[in-house]
Amino acid sequence: MRHTRTVFLCAALIAAPVFLHAQGGPAAAPGAAAKSAEFVPPRTADGKPDLQGVWETRNAAAFDITEITEGHEIPYRPEALEKEQKGPRVDPIAHCAMPGVPRITYMPYPIQIMQRPGYVIFMYEYLHDQRIVPTNTGPTNPAREHLDGVDFWLGDSLGRWEGDTLVVDVTNLDERSWLDSARHTHSDALHVVERYSRTGPNTIRYEATIEDPKMYTRPWKIVMPLHLNKEAGFELREQECTEGDDGRPIHPPYRPAPHGDVFEFPRKYPSTQGASK
Amino acid sequence: MKYTIWFAFAAMVAVAQPAAQPAQPAKPAAPVKAPAPRAIPRMADGHPDLEGIWQPRTSGAAYSILPHQGGFFLGGGSDTGVVEGGVLPYQPWAMEIVKDLTQHMEFDPTGHCHYEGIPHANYFGFQFFQTPTHIAVLYENMHARRIIYMTGSHPSDYLAWMGDSRGRWEGDTLVVDVANNNDKSVYDMAGHFHSDAEHVVERYNMVDHDNINWEATIDDPKVFTRPWKMKFPLRRAPKDNEIMESGCFEGERDAVHLVEGLAIIPADHYKQ
Repeated sequence: MRHTRTVFLCAALIAAPVFLHAQGGPAAAPGAAAKSAEFVPPRTADGKPDLQGVWETRNAAAFDITEITEGHEIPYRPEALEKEQKGPRVDPIAHCAMPGVPRITYMPYPIQIMQRPGYVIFMYEYLHDQRIVPTNTGPTNPAREHLDGVDFWLGDSLGRWEGDTLVVDVTNLDERSWLDSARHTHSDALHVVERYSRTGPNTIRYEATIEDPKMYTRPWKIVMPLHLNKEAGFELREQECTEGDDGRPIHPPYRPAPHGDVFEFPRKYPSTQGASK
Repeated sequence: MKYTIWFAFAAMVAVAQPAAQPAQPAKPAAPVKAPAPRAIPRMADGHPDLEGIWQPRTSGAAYSILPHQGGFFLGGGSDTGVVEGGVLPYQPWAMEIVKDLTQHMEFDPTGHCHYEGIPHANYFGFQFFQTPTHIAVLYENMHARRIIYMTGSHPSDYLAWMGDSRGRWEGDTLVVDVANNNDKSVYDMAGHFHSDAEHVVERYNMVDHDNINWEATIDDPKVFTRPWKMKFPLRRAPKDNEIMESGCFEGERDAVHLVEGLAIIPADHYKQ
């Protein structure tokens, strides 16, 4: 089952660029935006658009973010690009670090969104990452401001509803995270504004504005759809990075593990169960 | 080896911090003498609403679930531990292994940034998000997480650090059946362990708005001679508390020891 899903995701990854190319890539996004005006999203008990369910991306942005970047180009400052090329060459997720935002969203693993009054909870299968986003924040209701002087791999997320769109303002992001496996990087000044809007019964339009004055000459955008997983009885499973099992095909460690299962206790169970009872 | 010891030490300190406060009282927490306990909050379907952040009072269970002295792995002491009767009914072969594991804290998988498993994860603060069909439990420590499904049944093709949780209501008590546990997670830093035959039944008995009595019955016929019980109270966290990010793995450079754990690496492996 587990492996079936991994294989499926890998297949999806390979197929996605071709598919997107045929569709014209992110250029197809404005069409989706226009659709959102027509689509009336289902609502939760408190009247907010219902984003709940298990969602998946079907693109290869985890390998190269420019696939979903508007204009397919990142507006680097020349000095930032030079710094990036001299920077670390090993992807932090190879060390089981969390991927950061927005990268966690397009990692090729399912995402479960849960909504409770005042909160949207993102549960990522990848590395059992999670984000608890309060939705009562923002200029109109500054219940909580961004924290001061502390960075997180997944940043500090503050949410608000703008009409039927969930807007999540993310700062305090760890400067070590990368945007993809192609070593597109950012600085500690990274500021991401994510927008989630339902565009159809099975889709969410995900848009993120990426701003980092130390790295880029202007804010730039990524746009992609999230697809609802409709497989009956589908549940998130456990994905643990340090075991070198499920994570391995995605980000192999420096060298192959000597055994299939690398973390073993030096204990053996009696060959006959209950022999010593 | 040097790195392993250092890492084990670092892990010890890291784990010590969250548990230091609840570990202070040597006796079980005295009942809170609040003027009038607030009533149990309820969902639309009438079941208790457990949503919120809960702080366990574990008497230093992260160090040892059995009675232990202060200073044991840097932890505060506990005269009682959290195990009913203060004894774990190990089979003789398992008892021998525990004696050894207690001397080798570097085997503790949480020191390698693995999930703690159930019940171990419950020694640390967590947040419930509740719907009639599923309850998400988001732990701060190790950014661990599980979803307690109120529907369906345990999968048959799956073992996991956090197992597979299926819940049901018995009156005001949430009963969670945790199966599909792997044999790698442990109960504490003192080497108390189980096999993949472990079956945990947790009971979250909501007493009032701010208090849950939690207990777990643990059965593992491969390791123990009989089922045994563990319990401690959970108290609602102050209103402005939030679950923050605990990364554990943060670009660790000693990946050989961390990723490989203590696997036996063939002597010629590095020559390849």
